[in-house]
Amino acid sequence: MRYIDYMQLNPFQRFGYNFVQFFKKLPGNVARFFKLVGLAIVNFFVGIGKGFANYGTRFVKGGVGVKISYVIFGVGNIVKGQIVKGLLFFMTEVAYICYMVFFGINYISKFGTLGDKLMTTEIDADGFPVTVEGDNSMLILLYSVLTIVITIIVFAIYIANTKSAYKVEQLKKNGKAVPTFMQELKQFADEKFHVSLMSLPCILIGCFTILPLIFMILIAFTNYDSSHQVPKHLFTWVGLQNFADLVNVTEGAKKGITFLGLTEWTIIWAIFATFTNYILGMVVALMINKKGIKLKSLWRTLFVVVIAVPQFVSLLLMSQILATNGALNILLSNITGQQIEFDFLGASPLIAKITVIIVNMWIGIPYTILITSGILMNIPADLYESATIDGAGPVRSFMSITLPYMLFVTTPYLITSFIGNINNFNVIFLLTGGGPSNVDYYNAGHTDILVTWLFNLTMSKNDYSLAAAIGILVFIVCASLSLITFNLTKSAKDEEAFS
Amino acid sequence: MKMKRIVALLLAAMMMVAVFASCNGDASNTSTGSGSDNGDVSGQFVDPADFGDEVNAKIKVWAPDKAVKLFKKHCDDFCAMYPDQNITIEIKSQGENDVSSKILNDPSTAADVFSFPSDQLPKLEASGVIAPVATKYIPDIEATNAEDSCDNARIDDTMYAYPETGNGYYLVYDKSVISDKEAGSLEAILAKCKKTNKKFIMDAGNGFYACAFAFTGGFECTGSEKDKDGYLTQLFNDYDEKEVVDTLTAISKLMKDYSGIFTSLSVDNIASNLATGTCAAGIDGSWDAVADEKALGENLGATKLPTINVNGEDKQLISAFGFKLLGVNNVSKYQRTAQILAYYLSSKPCQQDRCDELGWSPTNNEVAESDSAKNNVTIKALLAQKEHSISQVNVTESTWGQFGTLGDSMIKDPNQDIKVLFDKIVNNIKEG
Amino acid sequence: MIKSYKIRRHVANAFIYIVLAVLGIIWVSPLAYMLLHSFRADGFSTYPYLIPKEFGFDNYIALFTNTEMLDFPRWYLNTFVVAIFSCIISTLSVLMVSYAFSRLRFKSRKKFINIGMILGMFPGFMTMVAIYYLLKAMGLDGQLVALVICYSAGAGLGFQISKGFFDTIPRALDEAATIDGATKNQIFWKIILPMSKPIVVYTVLTSFIGPWTDFILAKIIMGDNLENYTVAIGLQKMITLEFKTEYFKQFLAGSVLVAVPVTILFLFMQRYYVEGVTAGGVKG
Repeated sequence: MRYIDYMQLNPFQRFGYNFVQFFKKLPGNVARFFKLVGLAIVNFFVGIGKGFANYGTRFVKGGVGVKISYVIFGVGNIVKGQIVKGLLFFMTEVAYICYMVFFGINYISKFGTLGDKLMTTEIDADGFPVTVEGDNSMLILLYSVLTIVITIIVFAIYIANTKSAYKVEQLKKNGKAVPTFMQELKQFADEKFHVSLMSLPCILIGCFTILPLIFMILIAFTNYDSSHQVPKHLFTWVGLQNFADLVNVTEGAKKGITFLGLTEWTIIWAIFATFTNYILGMVVALMINKKGIKLKSLWRTLFVVVIAVPQFVSLLLMSQILATNGALNILLSNITGQQIEFDFLGASPLIAKITVIIVNMWIGIPYTILITSGILMNIPADLYESATIDGAGPVRSFMSITLPYMLFVTTPYLITSFIGNINNFNVIFLLTGGGPSNVDYYNAGHTDILVTWLFNLTMSKNDYSLAAAIGILVFIVCASLSLITFNLTKSAKDEEAFS
Repeated sequence: MKMKRIVALLLAAMMMVAVFASCNGDASNTSTGSGSDNGDVSGQFVDPADFGDEVNAKIKVWAPDKAVKLFKKHCDDFCAMYPDQNITIEIKSQGENDVSSKILNDPSTAADVFSFPSDQLPKLEASGVIAPVATKYIPDIEATNAEDSCDNARIDDTMYAYPETGNGYYLVYDKSVISDKEAGSLEAILAKCKKTNKKFIMDAGNGFYACAFAFTGGFECTGSEKDKDGYLTQLFNDYDEKEVVDTLTAISKLMKDYSGIFTSLSVDNIASNLATGTCAAGIDGSWDAVADEKALGENLGATKLPTINVNGEDKQLISAFGFKLLGVNNVSKYQRTAQILAYYLSSKPCQQDRCDELGWSPTNNEVAESDSAKNNVTIKALLAQKEHSISQVNVTESTWGQFGTLGDSMIKDPNQDIKVLFDKIVNNIKEG
Repeated sequence: MIKSYKIRRHVANAFIYIVLAVLGIIWVSPLAYMLLHSFRADGFSTYPYLIPKEFGFDNYIALFTNTEMLDFPRWYLNTFVVAIFSCIISTLSVLMVSYAFSRLRFKSRKKFINIGMILGMFPGFMTMVAIYYLLKAMGLDGQLVALVICYSAGAGLGFQISKGFFDTIPRALDEAATIDGATKNQIFWKIILPMSKPIVVYTVLTSFIGPWTDFILAKIIMGDNLENYTVAIGLQKMITLEFKTEYFKQFLAGSVLVAVPVTILFLFMQRYYVEGVTAGGVKG
């Protein structure tokens, strides 16, 4: 069906059409998703195989310089005249060996057990305690990960070194000029410009995102919690125990029950938070942009100010205002003339949940207004005119023109904001802090979502391993959700469309 | 262009603020041996030989926010006493409620000497971050401090911390509204509050206060036990379930009958509401003593917790009572200096100052006999309540959370089946 | 017929004005409450009246003079410095990465894009403990440099929006410049960047505001090092249980002082913000 055909359907037909299409495509998309993942894995191994084949070929075909480069970095380059490059390769090897001997080996050797020497405290002759620190599982794991990452990088440099040695040898053999170091550097401003652009951000991301992430993913497979903590205790590998705890929902298994309950609420929350903001924000934006409405920028500013105030300020303020003795209750008391002390954030789980969704609208609607205004103006005015001539009221034309058009154009934004809401820490944490408390949950309250639970487990309960396992599961949910929907929508346009 | 100029102006303004800020931005809380000229300390506290070979020690102290100034003064004195040691002490403000989790987040950068409430001791000991007290000083500590404060600092006969002050809560009330006689019974207080349309404030959602509901019913925490994995489990007495449920029901009925009067708010609300006259009484602790007095002045009344009527019998509310202790970090680089400093901070002169200036209840026997302690109305109230209390050290961290849930749930939903709720709570306490 | 249509339109507009006015009041009143009570001279943390009985500048004055325990001016300066530096680094790295992804064609470009998107889907809090220990291993815990690193290190991952923007710039421009002999380096700095004002402003704005609002990572890195706090965690400290009774009004005043510059900045840059985000992010 072409877009133009689709536009001619009435809302119900459209809904039906979309509904059917979604489920028709779902198996295909899920299958494609797994196929893609499978293909990626296969490609990875094929690539490694090819790499090794080339590695062998180069060794056999290369001369003495190349062969020595397989043991001592950079020799192949140096003998052919690329002194600086060769020295850089060589220095990498020296630095790596030093790192391993003086630092890395101490940690990587204990990677299997994560340490076995316990801390001891003894009393000396004067009666003062003397403490000898033992192994520190956390540091062993962290530095082991660091060592592994460094090893992989050095290995990549090693392969580049053999390639480079072989290449320069071939150039010499064919009688071509060997590029000088300066010439090679110049390439980084042109053919290899992407390397110069990407290397610094990639190093930063590698150090402060990827490395910590690998570390935390590994933590999920250990028993690192408050009773296995430094300095007195060690933690060790426990396999999938944390995940098993989370999916075990039998009677009395609190972690599993909490995870199930919170996942359910997280999804409900994300759906409500996303769509209330999206639809109501669009309605307000339409009102502001309606022809004949004056003072447009004033109206917009009134809403947009809320975005500009930092959330920890505006939300903490909101929690004060909504408290039993807060401004809202005072206002209601003044209006009704009676003493009102309603607990908006804790009278009951349901009320607390409704309150956070409403407050989230206060925070979120301005964003929608800001972002959708421009796109709303792009909807061809004659569409509305013809709808009015056909006798459609504002509601009808919103449902049958605006919404479908906007959904069509802004699907990626919707997906990002849905995922953003799954991870929407601020609103819950600053407003209710997870409360009201729940007797059946493990360290969580009724309005906690998965990320606030994760945060509490890490910061106040020191239950790092369980938190890491939750993080991984949240990731899996978000990633599969967005991959499947991205494939599903037509909005996943060809990015080269403009070229 | 116009916008550019405005942005430039804005940036300039911010720069000005920044420059202004940097001028007076050097308020440091550091004491050093050489720089101090507080000369009112005569003699030395311990034999300098006790420092061993530790010189140029750098010590970090965590003190509760309100006591930072006083701790700073004491640390200055300490440094001045041992100029040859060249000690540098840095005092950081750190709320006491989460001291143990802050230390556990990273023991190696945590304080060398820290002040903490006694119920966190089992956790600190189990995780090995607290060093035992130097055996050399134990006889003196035991001789000069109240016996129960020393008991609170011990686990399995090893002393882990230096007693600092008593820690508990009591009833504060506005004498112009509630008579001393009425202050003895919760029913009378609530009735008077209702009559005058004022509030009774207690933080029922916080386990530290809400435990009183269960304790009054005869539920007792008796200590904790480490299982083979090192997890702490709560031990409790063989309580009479009917009695507990009856007591809880009576309290829950009061909450229901006086809804709008019996309010659950955090303790900082008590002083503000006493000041505005919207609150007539509340359950508060000595850390707010100064603010409460500022709010009420002459009219400040403080006494032990009131009684509550259960099936015709007046029962005294039983609270949790503990101590604040000074601990030394087990991985401190300057173990000896830290131990001596903690010993000094828990000694008589320091306790006397804290009692005089902050109204903290002393553990030192001599200070307890001093006039300022004896005449302090809040210290008297605290000590009176101590007679009706369960030791805080017996309560594990997760149990506080469960008591909090109990209180929160009771006040939020006074119509629920108390027995079912209590059974759930006990079950959760058992599981830890 | 025409007349009734006109009347209907007037009625509709009047209705819309009323709705907008009501909503506007609802949206602004919490902030107005904050502003009003930051000038409140009496009472402690809770206050039984909507409009303060006494006004004064005491709270603002106290913020700048009562600095012995909670040093607000120092925090303000810290945040400003951190914001400036992390803004420069993040803007550069975002623009560099997104330009490379958008305009340059190189091996495994797609792979990098996918890895970038996948990394962005892990909950951010997961890694905070590890980041803390890494910074500590570098001896940076409690230092402002650590904050700059934290706020700008991951910035490259936020490339989607600006990549979307760069995608909309016709490639013919690059080709023409290449024919004229420009290197890719020159094309980036001399041709594309000057054309990308909205996205540059958008990136600068978001990365400048970041440090003013983060209250999680900064707290973990700073720990008990009060001198190096940023305003966000400093203000939070003011309303912890120990300080709240005394400092709540100062918290309001401090919040106003944080909110005002950010708001002004934002309102002026709004147009670019919208252009940047709609061109790059919304339409995909």
